[in-house]
Amino acid sequence: MAMYQSKDIEVYADKKWLEQEAVKEREQEKKSALVGFAKRLFRHKGAVIGGIIIILFIFIAVFAPWLTSYSYDKPDISAVLMAPCREHIFGTDEFGRDIFTRIVYGARISLKVAIIAVAFSLVIGTVLGAIAGYYGGVVDYIITSITDMAWSFPTTLLAIAFIAALGTGLQNVIIAIVLASWSGYCRVVRGQFLSIKQREFIEAARVLGMSDARIIFRHIFPNSLTPVIVMATLELPKAIVIEASLSFLGLGAQPPEPSWGAILDSGRGLLDQAPWISLFPGIMIMLVVLGFNLFGDALRDVLDPNS
Amino acid sequence: MMLKYIIKRIVLMIPVIIIMTIFVFSIFYFAPGDPVSRIAGPNATPEVYESIKRKYGLDQPFIIQYLRFAKSVLGGDLGISILQDRPVIEMIKERLPVTLQIGFLGFLITFVIAVPAGVIAAVKKNTVADYLCMTGSLVGIAMPTFWLGMLLLYVFAYKLRWFPISGDGTIKQLILPGFAIGLTNAAITARMVRSSMLEVLKQDYVRTARSKGLSEKRVIFGHALKNALIPVITLMGLRLGWIIGGSVALEIIFSIPGIGRLMVDSILARDYPVVQGSMIVLTSSIILANILADILYTVVDPRIRYS
Repeated sequence: MAMYQSKDIEVYADKKWLEQEAVKEREQEKKSALVGFAKRLFRHKGAVIGGIIIILFIFIAVFAPWLTSYSYDKPDISAVLMAPCREHIFGTDEFGRDIFTRIVYGARISLKVAIIAVAFSLVIGTVLGAIAGYYGGVVDYIITSITDMAWSFPTTLLAIAFIAALGTGLQNVIIAIVLASWSGYCRVVRGQFLSIKQREFIEAARVLGMSDARIIFRHIFPNSLTPVIVMATLELPKAIVIEASLSFLGLGAQPPEPSWGAILDSGRGLLDQAPWISLFPGIMIMLVVLGFNLFGDALRDVLDPNS
Repeated sequence: MMLKYIIKRIVLMIPVIIIMTIFVFSIFYFAPGDPVSRIAGPNATPEVYESIKRKYGLDQPFIIQYLRFAKSVLGGDLGISILQDRPVIEMIKERLPVTLQIGFLGFLITFVIAVPAGVIAAVKKNTVADYLCMTGSLVGIAMPTFWLGMLLLYVFAYKLRWFPISGDGTIKQLILPGFAIGLTNAAITARMVRSSMLEVLKQDYVRTARSKGLSEKRVIFGHALKNALIPVITLMGLRLGWIIGGSVALEIIFSIPGIGRLMVDSILARDYPVVQGSMIVLTSSIILANILADILYTVVDPRIRYS
């Protein structure tokens, strides 16, 4: 058994101390980077406007029951097709239901569908992209082929086709959106992994004998996160629009669920008598999409050092 | 090199089309419920049930059924509508032209609006004109096409009565849906034109043209615009899927008997052969358009690598 020489111990202690210092430094760096990032984000007009719209949207969705005294599905014969007035600021529909209430509850559907759909496609796409980019070879070839195929399908038609197979309903809308949009993340993450994999610090980590999992999760993944975050922010409004479109076509939310697309559709036959039924949900969709797009573009500007 | 790339792209298209047909075929195969009783109806006698099972080949295993399906699709036979009991291909032939007309008009309006707007925004960068164009573009991108369609229908058909409220078979019925597609698509395209134009204006040959003493007008319209539009025009091919997807809802809003409406009606009525047929026709034309756009882009722009 080899004896530790005192010099070795010194070196070891030195190394330990240096490592701790490095960790401290890195944390400090991270903190200041985060502060700088927040500062730049707050100075960006698009980020502020988009951020406010997103926060309002989430607020409405979370506190829906406290924002209104009406029910979104109970008919009221005494208030059929009322134009916007003090009691019903967005008017009522053909069943006397308050449009404002339905829109407020509809925000819950939009938010829920968008978050679940984007989360699943992000995870599926990221994992597949990471595997393809890191391991390369046959695995990469297979995953890339599948991705390219999924990518070349038109999103809306693909979603409609899935609904045709699975049946209507919000759950199937989520599945349809996931299947139609995971390939985007896969492409981005694969590209990131391919380029980061060849950098020196990864080579160093490999020489030091780190496991694949550790290299992937500790070193490559955090460095490839930026475009994924930007993409997810910009995919959320897309998911909201797909859900609204499918519900508008009668393929998504089923009555009396107050999806914005479904409310829009219910006003279609009453456009001449009661334009407010379709007017307000459309404005909401537009605002929310605008908010996410502004925020996503701002994130890209701030996070991407090349721009 | 170039030819090799083109052949490669076309060859790679084949598996995409095959997978697409497998997928579309599975819609019918895996859709909830027993396909035989779906065709035969609930009151069919066992004999009728058996004969229908044999007639549609539903007694065979999946792979045989698919091969049979693929063979007839290759021969231009898309099956028979359950609801109308006539060849699907005939129904599609009736419905497709009107959808293509809407799409064509949409493209036309896109260019008429997006090119001037994008050029002005680029040439007068950071002026009021630029901000106006880009704000309009942001709003246009956020606006759901089907909602814009309803707004146009309300204002120009119900209130001003310039256009028919529902499809009347004349060219007039196409104008409002064409504008709904054209305006929202122009929003994205104008952004593309602007950034492409800004990129070109930085190039050496533009500086040379300027230093030759050419008028600013000739520099912009004679030299810069031509080159700036190359990526825009070719990338427009990639928007075909989006345009057809948008057309689905618009055909319903404007009561126009196009292929999108046919498809949604057939999904809701569970007339699967029609869904499959229209899906195959639409997706294969979109995949083809994407590849043509890809090839065109590479052919026109020699800087792109053919790998």
